Amino acid sequence: MGKSDNKVSLSPLLGKIAAPGDTILELPKEGDQVVRIGGGLRQTGDNVVATRAGGVTKSPQGLYFVEGSQKRYIPQVDDAIIAVVTKRHGEVFEVDIGGPFRASLSGVAFEGATKRNRPNLKVGALVYGRVISADRDMEPEIECMDAHGKSSGFGPLTGGYMFSCTTGLARVLLSNPPCPILSALGTALSYEIAVGINGRVWSKAEDAQTTILVSNSILNSEFISGKQSEAMVKTLLTRMGKMPV
Amino acid sequence: MREAILLSANEREFLVGALQAEQRVDGRRPFDTRRLKVRFGPNDGVCEAQLGPTRVLSSVTAELVEPFPDRPNEGSVRFSVEFSPMASPSFEAGRPSEEAVEVARVIERSLKGSGAIDTEALCVLSGRKVWALNVLIHVLDHGGALLDACSVSVLCALLSFRHPDVTVGGQSGQEVIVHPPHVKEPIQLNIHHLPLAISFAFFEDDGELVVVDPSLKEEAAMRGMLTVCLNPQGELCALQKAGGVAVSTSQIMRCVRIASGKVAERAGQMKALLSEYEQGREKNRIRRRRPHSAMEEENAGSGSAQAGDKSTYHQMESSSDEDSSEEEEEEE
Repeated sequence: MGKSDNKVSLSPLLGKIAAPGDTILELPKEGDQVVRIGGGLRQTGDNVVATRAGGVTKSPQGLYFVEGSQKRYIPQVDDAIIAVVTKRHGEVFEVDIGGPFRASLSGVAFEGATKRNRPNLKVGALVYGRVISADRDMEPEIECMDAHGKSSGFGPLTGGYMFSCTTGLARVLLSNPPCPILSALGTALSYEIAVGINGRVWSKAEDAQTTILVSNSILNSEFISGKQSEAMVKTLLTRMGKMPV
Repeated sequence: MREAILLSANEREFLVGALQAEQRVDGRRPFDTRRLKVRFGPNDGVCEAQLGPTRVLSSVTAELVEPFPDRPNEGSVRFSVEFSPMASPSFEAGRPSEEAVEVARVIERSLKGSGAIDTEALCVLSGRKVWALNVLIHVLDHGGALLDACSVSVLCALLSFRHPDVTVGGQSGQEVIVHPPHVKEPIQLNIHHLPLAISFAFFEDDGELVVVDPSLKEEAAMRGMLTVCLNPQGELCALQKAGGVAVSTSQIMRCVRIASGKVAERAGQMKALLSEYEQGREKNRIRRRRPHSAMEEENAGSGSAQAGDKSTYHQMESSSDEDSSEEEEEEE
């Protein structure tokens, strides 16, 4: 992906740490250049300002964002999140996504759902969804399908266990190729996880002991290196009697 | 009022199901307690105890007041608990909630009710001046088993607290002179025994599934809770079960037996941490009592711990009679 000279001079803080209020870049006064800004950034007049602390990064698609690690989650459009159903108001569900407000999930926002054929989610159910609206002053909205209307892994999550982590760890878990802890666990165990960028991870394995091992290993892997993660998994598996292949 | 934690149906089912296989979600077994960490504050009588993520800070202060008319020879102890809003989304600033009052009451019952604190030793001048102790308990982080952490924190604060030495004299024999710490060494409290709290959580309709030292998620999923306060000698100081699922007497007795083992272990840990603190305090005290030594000042200024220690040990050998006798007394 080629970077033109102007783009480099636009963001002096690229790759550096920004604090809330720092100007990340100034929008060019002339030209039709499109600058895409993502999480942690806000446009005020001609400047793009950081709204959270973290490293300034640019995605391969040219999207600028500020990436930090927090316990608190602020919803952003297109985030994949895990929500807990808290109320049911007729056709709409009220869900908790761990943010400042509860979000709403329409009963028909599932693949193949119609007015007559809606999923019967009870209070306390878990769903894997996507944020479709996240205005600062309004209730966010989520749906359980991708932009094309297909489920793509979104929808209700049955069984399993869920735990909370920081937004930083959630982002690492979603990286491609898989992070060291997930690969290390995968060498000997078969398990399923769904990672919400809101700092929630749902995990499911064949029995409770394995699920607990997977969950706690992931939690403990946040501040240790890849090699240390592999060593930790090896120790745990040996103790459990499930040697890695 | 918000809940301490929002638990999904999946988590609740998984947690209880795993418990039936004697697995706890944080990897512990049903009767494993979390690691205890104790840190002593900058002053005597300040202590922060941590049990896993649960964090409680206690501080003890004392003032000379008139005693209650019906107890002219006794001092008093007052406990107040503050649930900081940073500890949990369910804690709000303002008047203590029902839960906070419950914690204060159980701590009070286990310490005052059992006679752990010698209030007669707090008497300075009968009928006129006694020490009134004020124990402030701040819950800084709620990670489950608040009473367990509070009782360790309060006990360590009381054990490390020192009140100024006083002499009664003067012309009328009724004057109370309070000595500052650099003139006369402050005095420890007289604590007779160490009551410690151990909490249990019950699950399912009959309360047959039980765990020790519940975490926050376990407290959200539990059906009832029991707190047992015992001392290492096996004496029961308090028992608290406020509502919750009905539990058989044999289950309660089982919990008390488990608690006595845990209390013995925890008291041992506490004593070790406390003696470490006391040793550190001794070193500082000895350094403090020789401000005239130029070598001492130089070493203190350079901030080199090793050099400082060497100088104090050296000075300990050449100390005067008066000093050495006091040191021997303190080393007990």
